[in-house]
Amino acid sequence: MTELASRSESAPATDGQGSGRGRAIGRLLPALPAFLVLGVLFLGAMAFALVFSFWKTENFVLVADWNVDNYAKFFTVPAYVRTFGKTLLMAALVTLGCLALALPFTYFLVRYVSRRWQRIILLAVIIPFWTSYLLRVYAWQAILGEKGVLNLVLETSGLISEPSRLFVYNDFGVFIVLVYVYFPFAALALYASLDRFDFSQLTAAQDLGARPDQALRHILIPQIRPGIITACIFVFVPIIGEYLTPTLVGGAQGVLIGNLVVNFFRGAQIAQGAAFAMIIALFVTVVLVVFRRHLQVEDVVARG
Amino acid sequence: MAMIDKRLSRRRFLQASAAASAAAALSGLGSASRLVVAQDGPTGTFNWLTWADHFYDEQLDAIDTAVGIRPNATFFSDNAEAFVQLQEVGGQLDMVSGDALWVPRYYEEGLIAPFDINSLEVSKNLYSVAREFPWWTVPDGYLGFPFGWSPVQIYYNPEFVTPDPDSWEVMLDPKYQGRVVTENQPVEVIAYMGKLAGAKDVYNMTDEELAAAKANLAQLVPNLLKFTDQAQETWALLASGEAWLATANLGADLVVRDELGGPELKRIMPKEGTVAWMDAEMMVDGGQNQELVLPFLEQSNQPEYIAENFLRYGRPLFNEGAYKVLVEMGEQDRADRFLFNEPEAILDPNLTLKAPGLSTEAAINAFNEVVGA
Amino acid sequence: MVGPLETMPVSPHARLVRRALWLLAGAILVFLYLPIAVMIVLSFNESRVVGLPLTGLTLDWYEQALTNRLLLEAVRNSVIVSLIVALLATIIGTMAAFPLVRGGMPFPGATRVFATMPIMFPGMLLGIAILIFMRRVLDLDLSLLTVIAGHLVFTTPFVILIVAARLQSLDTRLEWAAADLGAAPRKTIRHIILPLIWPAILAGGLISVTLSIDEFIITFFTVGPQMTLPIYIYTQIKFGVTPEVNAIATILLAAMLVLLVLGAFVLTARRRVERGGEH
Repeated sequence: MTELASRSESAPATDGQGSGRGRAIGRLLPALPAFLVLGVLFLGAMAFALVFSFWKTENFVLVADWNVDNYAKFFTVPAYVRTFGKTLLMAALVTLGCLALALPFTYFLVRYVSRRWQRIILLAVIIPFWTSYLLRVYAWQAILGEKGVLNLVLETSGLISEPSRLFVYNDFGVFIVLVYVYFPFAALALYASLDRFDFSQLTAAQDLGARPDQALRHILIPQIRPGIITACIFVFVPIIGEYLTPTLVGGAQGVLIGNLVVNFFRGAQIAQGAAFAMIIALFVTVVLVVFRRHLQVEDVVARG
Repeated sequence: MAMIDKRLSRRRFLQASAAASAAAALSGLGSASRLVVAQDGPTGTFNWLTWADHFYDEQLDAIDTAVGIRPNATFFSDNAEAFVQLQEVGGQLDMVSGDALWVPRYYEEGLIAPFDINSLEVSKNLYSVAREFPWWTVPDGYLGFPFGWSPVQIYYNPEFVTPDPDSWEVMLDPKYQGRVVTENQPVEVIAYMGKLAGAKDVYNMTDEELAAAKANLAQLVPNLLKFTDQAQETWALLASGEAWLATANLGADLVVRDELGGPELKRIMPKEGTVAWMDAEMMVDGGQNQELVLPFLEQSNQPEYIAENFLRYGRPLFNEGAYKVLVEMGEQDRADRFLFNEPEAILDPNLTLKAPGLSTEAAINAFNEVVGA
Repeated sequence: MVGPLETMPVSPHARLVRRALWLLAGAILVFLYLPIAVMIVLSFNESRVVGLPLTGLTLDWYEQALTNRLLLEAVRNSVIVSLIVALLATIIGTMAAFPLVRGGMPFPGATRVFATMPIMFPGMLLGIAILIFMRRVLDLDLSLLTVIAGHLVFTTPFVILIVAARLQSLDTRLEWAAADLGAAPRKTIRHIILPLIWPAILAGGLISVTLSIDEFIITFFTVGPQMTLPIYIYTQIKFGVTPEVNAIATILLAAMLVLLVLGAFVLTARRRVERGGEH
């Protein structure tokens, strides 16, 4: 990335700006509002959370009794680590599920659909998600439940003899609804990237003798990798903090780590909740850092 | 259909009630039920953090017309959430609703101001027991204006649950695997399990009691269909037959049978005892519009409004005047089913009132350990 | 821009694939709208509980929703807030993506990870922490403005990431060419870069609206004496959501779909006029 920076710097600049440092700050200026929002508001808020995580909640009020017990709790009680592991697995599966659906969907959209209809369909995809999430999940309960639509269809078509209680109030229900909820994010992220792709490259590759899947794997995927990575982040990361879906369709078994953490907040045990949230965030951050280095997003086109 | 009738009749009552109140205000009929038209009293809006069922739109409109006071209502669901918010927001709120022993907690933190409840004319409508709860009484006055109450009971479908149970034990019976529903409230659920384990003060349990409660919870979880976030989910599952056993407030059986076309449920108060809540409106200390709070309460607790509130939302309320109105309207049966006229029931020693207890953190941890992967 | 002719399948194999994709896309749309259909049906349900079984059909809930002052105010607030949040997040995020990708930002990798952090935390922690910071440090009174600020915290990362990803795969030689031809940087941005990253900006904006319009928990902690739709819905815990909410949601959905159709027509008309300048 720094390579690019120096290259675009050395490109003939007709703006004639001043000294190097003035230029550097000038270049950072567009990031100022984001800095205020993320660097000040978010960081400031998290500073409090971080401090609180080392305090204690006594009688529902935070007390500055510095300790690391809250953190230790996460590791000494096996339930937390296990649930966290399960959450990571669920997040990974949902990410794969979303990609499996979103990739062909956006591919079809960008390649075979006219520009105008692309945007219409995209909006048509996203607009349902502007209605209340709670109502949509209630609707899923009405679909997947014992007395729900799915069972009705299966029973009347004779596939099953009595209603199944396997579709909801368990991990499966959580999986389905999470894929549903996060699909648009994956689709939008992929669309933003796929939109630039020159499909004639695929035809050219096939003309040169490549099989379709080879063409996809070696030409398409590398070029839309930033989009794929972004889609993964958009799905995987928020699921780590998810608790609403497991509550509504997970039953007593489909609990994720977010639920356990939120239980503390709802009981006003802020110190404990903050500590757990910090641990989780730290873990995800480490994963992202490793992820980023491992799958370096290179500028394939500009390399020339 | 019966359901439409009920809704229409409520609406008709409502129009009648608003008309009656207005008429009463104009003609000065009745004593305690007369709406006070305060010409030179304070007017304006104030901020009220409450539960959605503590008022209804037409009531607020009528009060605004009568005395020019209107609350900006914002809602919350857990006491702890409101507690945290009030700590940070302070005077930006003027009135907050709270449960049972949470109220004195607010007072301890200096968040609310006590007031002389007898200074309000309308408080004469309250059952006397509601004006004298020791936990809400401090030297400087009363900590909140009482509103409603309910014990938490076990409702069950007698068609599937036999023999008739009498204890929390029934929820753990493997016969009912996947047929039990309870609230998504870790502290409460642990409290129920604590009751089963023989603990009395289930919000301040000892380590041994907690361990026993946790063991009970471990047996309960496989039986659970789900933890519900909203009362209506519990009702829906009972009505559809997906659930046979559930914890709920008074009136669940009526909603399930009358409004959802579900089966006739029975209820029990478990022999080990259960928990109960009672809520009140608290006046925020240093609220920016504090002077509007008491005048508003003077209006909003008029028996006609409280009676209508009962008909809409269905749980017993501490207003004796409202009970009389309900009797006049011919709704005595319904009110009696809700124990409306027996508020002393809340003093039953087997009932533990909701409280911000000392074992909260431990309870949450115990819950997490059982429910986690 | 690849025209329709070039995308014409050249072999039966390709045609099959295209057909399969078409079916898949259709199935996905059905999947997405299935709960919506159920939600709409439930808005006509006589039962006061949101869910099956259907006990009868009625329009009562629509009547109730449209006369519920608090609910309507909540809807109005939600729409206003989410539009403002989307607008601001898109602007802020897009602007920030440039230094991130084009240099000028120290430690771009770390910054990118940092920008992702707000979405790692459970909403509840963010809500409480932001509340505390805004009250104790900034000494702000809570209002819709504080809600907007809170929403920006977790929507901006999405915009930054999606625009940055797109910006990254942009061919910088185009900019050099423009500069060679004498274009000032601002002009380059306006006429070359922005049109090329426009889908990413749009996607970011759409994501922001989606995230903000139904956001409950952070809103709960940062809102003043105002009501938003998600809060109205989520906090009716003791006595439950009624199909009145389904009714208002259906009305909103219908309104948005109508706008979409209208917008589609406007877009078509505009395109015929602007044919030359695109791409």
